[in-house]
Amino acid sequence: MNPSIIGQMAVSGALMGLVYALIAYGFQLTYATSKSINFGQGELVMVSAFFSLTLLNLGVPYWAMIPGGLLFGALLGLVVERAGVRLALEQKSEGWILLSIIIGLFFFSAAENIWGRDDRPFPTPISADPIHVLGVDVTRLELSVAVGVFAIMGAIELFKRRTLLGKAFEAVSADRDAAELMGISATRTVMLSYGLSGAVAALAGILVSPITTVGPTMASALILKAFSVAVVAGLDSGFGVVLIGMSLGALESLASFYLGSGWREAPGLVLLILALALRPNGVFGKATIRKV
Amino acid sequence: MLQVEDLHAGYGASEVLTGTTLTVKQGTLVALIGANGAGKTTTMRAISGGLKPSRGKVVLDGQEVQGLDASRIARLGLAHAPEGRKVFGPLSVEDNLMLGAYGRLPRFFGFKAKAQADLDRVYELFPKLRERTGQAAGTLSGGEQQMLAIGRALMARPKVMLLDEPSMGLAPVIVQEVFRTIRRLKEEGITLLLVEQFAKSALEVADYAYVMERGRIAVEGTPAELSRNERVIAAYLG
Amino acid sequence: MKRILLLRGAELIVFALLATIPLLVVNPYALGLLTLLAIYGILLIGLDVTVGYLGQVNLAHVAFLGLGAYTAGLVVTKLGLGMGPALLAAMAVGLLLGGLLALPALRLEGPQFALATLSFAALSTTALNELEGLTGGAQGLSLNRPPVFGHVLTPPLFYWLCMALLAVVWMLMRNLLASQWGRAFEALRDSPIATDAMGVGTYRHKVAAFALGSSLGGLAGGLYAFNFQYLQPQSYTYDLMIILLLGVVLGGRKSLWGAFVGASVIVLLPNLLSNRLLFQVFSGLGFAGALAAGLRGLVKKTTRPFQALAPVVAMGLLVVGGLLVENTEDWRKAIFALMLFSVVVGLPEGLMGFLALFLARLFRVPHAPLPAPSDLDAVLPAHPADGSPLLVLADLKRYFGGVKAVDGLSMTVRSGTIHGLIGPNGSGKSTVVNVISGLYTPSAGRVLLRGAELPQGSLFLVARAGVARTFQNLQLFGELTALENVMVAMKDVYRSPLPLVLLGLARGEERRASADALALLELIGLRDQALTKAKDLTYGAQRFLEIARALARKPDLLILDEPAAGLAHPDMLQQIGIIQRVHQRGITIILIEHHMDVVSELCDTVTVLDGGKVIAEGTPAEVKRHPKVIEAYLGQPPESETSGVPAPEPA
Repeated sequence: MNPSIIGQMAVSGALMGLVYALIAYGFQLTYATSKSINFGQGELVMVSAFFSLTLLNLGVPYWAMIPGGLLFGALLGLVVERAGVRLALEQKSEGWILLSIIIGLFFFSAAENIWGRDDRPFPTPISADPIHVLGVDVTRLELSVAVGVFAIMGAIELFKRRTLLGKAFEAVSADRDAAELMGISATRTVMLSYGLSGAVAALAGILVSPITTVGPTMASALILKAFSVAVVAGLDSGFGVVLIGMSLGALESLASFYLGSGWREAPGLVLLILALALRPNGVFGKATIRKV
Repeated sequence: MLQVEDLHAGYGASEVLTGTTLTVKQGTLVALIGANGAGKTTTMRAISGGLKPSRGKVVLDGQEVQGLDASRIARLGLAHAPEGRKVFGPLSVEDNLMLGAYGRLPRFFGFKAKAQADLDRVYELFPKLRERTGQAAGTLSGGEQQMLAIGRALMARPKVMLLDEPSMGLAPVIVQEVFRTIRRLKEEGITLLLVEQFAKSALEVADYAYVMERGRIAVEGTPAELSRNERVIAAYLG
Repeated sequence: MKRILLLRGAELIVFALLATIPLLVVNPYALGLLTLLAIYGILLIGLDVTVGYLGQVNLAHVAFLGLGAYTAGLVVTKLGLGMGPALLAAMAVGLLLGGLLALPALRLEGPQFALATLSFAALSTTALNELEGLTGGAQGLSLNRPPVFGHVLTPPLFYWLCMALLAVVWMLMRNLLASQWGRAFEALRDSPIATDAMGVGTYRHKVAAFALGSSLGGLAGGLYAFNFQYLQPQSYTYDLMIILLLGVVLGGRKSLWGAFVGASVIVLLPNLLSNRLLFQVFSGLGFAGALAAGLRGLVKKTTRPFQALAPVVAMGLLVVGGLLVENTEDWRKAIFALMLFSVVVGLPEGLMGFLALFLARLFRVPHAPLPAPSDLDAVLPAHPADGSPLLVLADLKRYFGGVKAVDGLSMTVRSGTIHGLIGPNGSGKSTVVNVISGLYTPSAGRVLLRGAELPQGSLFLVARAGVARTFQNLQLFGELTALENVMVAMKDVYRSPLPLVLLGLARGEERRASADALALLELIGLRDQALTKAKDLTYGAQRFLEIARALARKPDLLILDEPAAGLAHPDMLQQIGIIQRVHQRGITIILIEHHMDVVSELCDTVTVLDGGKVIAEGTPAEVKRHPKVIEAYLGQPPESETSGVPAPEPA
């Protein structure tokens, strides 16, 4: 087997894997503040992508569309928090799992009926011509995914470390009750995390759409792998999701090359079940201390 | 400065507080002592909003605050250094301190400059914390974490500060240091409500004290009065 | 007799009615729906095991339906075997794969568990699609219903088969839930920690329950295959999973009737959606119901505003949608979503949970009479106490981050003694107990029971090794009665294998367990309240019950973690009496206590901790005079930190 082909497959797979990492990062944001994640996150990716496409079709320029799409994603995130998560958290129940699935289902059905069931192309000014870097061909489009992912994750990490609000965010995730005693409203912090998580999902949609096209089912495969990445890496390591996301993407692209495209999903799922058996808290996760 | 009237609160069906009434005047140090399970910590939590009282009033500086969210009460000027210290483990010492002043600092940028004066004051009080500014709070020793918890509460420039079992789990030497700190806070005119299991030490620093038994105040008075009270001597002072 | 009639009457009537239907109705469409009802009934009973009894969101059940269906299909088409072996194989596949998935997945909680099951479902769809040589892939797989004993299964016969299987599953599940297994399910949801500490084994019960539920999914899959006689991988996807969840939640969790009602809803849904007028009427009714319930909740202040209003909004959307949308089929997912949302938020107990409240008021079912208590000597035989070392801790350490909770502790507990462990708050007492009992793994050091190394880091294994404990913050099983709390923990009684339990042939040991438990309740003075739910007992009674429950383990070593905390004076006296009675039976006790009076009254030896280290050890009197103890308490004798309760009289 030609090593350069392997390298080629691995690199483009890894770049795709960054999208999984980005969605998984969205899970981590909400998990940090509330120990909950949005099981309908895939639908946020998809609906935001459709909305962004509509903005483009209305004549909004590409670069102006991006903030619009992110804002819309953030808004959807807030809807999920208000309708699906807050009540369950107040009651200390796990009802949010079911409720976020349900809200996702509603978004899915709405998108299907508003935008139709067909896949549509997503225009982008970034060229899809390959360029030659270190012996492998990558397209600017693929590189733009990497740039986008690292830009938003970097921005959010900077926000968490450099602003007081961001530190408050970390405080809530470390000890919710103690944070409240400092005057930090946990409810608002959870809202903020869902808003950010929604924006992250929207960006994932905008980045991936030019490559995969936009359709109601565009996120169903993506989201499964994002789940795998989040669980394998653990729900509290940003570095972990990037590493696991890229490895999974590479592995997957090799699997579909050698085993057939239908098996594309398999490595992620197998990796997930293995990781659960060996490291239940994730490879980069922290063990929790039980108290009585 | 802080008044608590007929406070009832509990967890689920079981009521722990059955009508607690106490007053903390401005600039005084009030101690709350009593057996384990008498409801001291529950009183603290019901005052600071971690637990919603089912009945009764909490008045902070003339304003009724019972039933408000803990974060709201904190921003109104009540700082609570909780039992078990509860520092933010993964965050640095300095971040922990700055979060103590969260209510009055700008949310995005320039907060450090604004907090600097208070930071210096806390570091002056606890020189050990200055040495460990950048270290994660979770890696500090128990005594250092307690200093940090007190420092964090101070950063808020609170109208009233609640200190819950600051000596808990600490070696005797460190406990003495904690009490020296408390005395110093008192000299600076900070209004304090202190819960302590070491009744004698608590009475030595307090201006006034309440003894709790089974969810309500059983005896109250100045330390001198309590030290003469037969019942208190038998039960708490040996 | 009245009791049996009340409890079983409805089941008998419904199943008898269902059995006669093919004789009365000849409409094949209606019969087809009823056959599906039976299949979904079995499927939902299986799903309810995880979603209801274990309280976990399980998204893999649909995969077991699919795997069961394909297994049955392949057994018939490729191996040429009959229906019986096919259904058995389908169940076996469900059981095995369910067990395999559960082993890693059930070490997880909540969201991670849901994710793991979701991934399994996706993996199984992928496999069914891709193993084309075997399954025919997306082309699908056709099969015929093989004849049974030479009879061709006509629709009525197949219907009877499905109904009969539903009735059997129903009965087996009822027997299981009435046994120790049912109690264990309740217990592990109330307090997994206490369930482990009582030697029941949270994890193994969860895995077994999950595998059992999955095998029912497999069985339903087998029937599903013979019903439709054509299989396609895309029939078993996420969409169907959501509908199944809708069925369980709407019907009512933790209820066989709930599964039945849920199955009826699932079967009727497609008809509802295909007829616009019917849908409008239905959504109108739903809206009115949500409005009435919401207003009632708001006026009576029993629900939060969100809980009352959100279902009204959701049902309102359904009504408006029903009027505006031409083809309701197109919006079916949104319709499911709105319905499910309303139910989860507004009626979390489901239809049966709601109905059960009314029925309980209408018919009062008397409780089965309790057996006479066993002889206490039989339940708790007196231990020979020779004063030899029973428990040895050697240089035990446990650190949390920078905090040294236990820092090199060595002590020996002699058999037949009450060994006190005292010290200020946070001195490491609770951590020591948590390390011995297996909640925490020690950072270093050894724990020996009778010279043998005690298992580390597993409450369950330590409990099995003969150590029982109580909890400072009560960890009772609130939803179980006092009697059941003790029965859950009962050691050496439940010996019947699972098949006998399922067939209802383990009643003898049930009777013995409850007689033994009654004897222990008598010991602590709670026999009269045996049938009161633990959460409804007084605080003092709850503390006593913790001890009775631990005694059901017939322990060599009993650890009492602050048994008198928060007790009023009369209760404290009673508690001291209970501990003395337990001690008289020769059981070795470690007593963690804050009340020095209690310690002086009860203990033979006292170890004093401070800062995670031993600072003194000896008789209570020696310890009180010990200079280090006085120093650690800042110049006061140790009484200083105890309560205002005067020293209790000797019992």
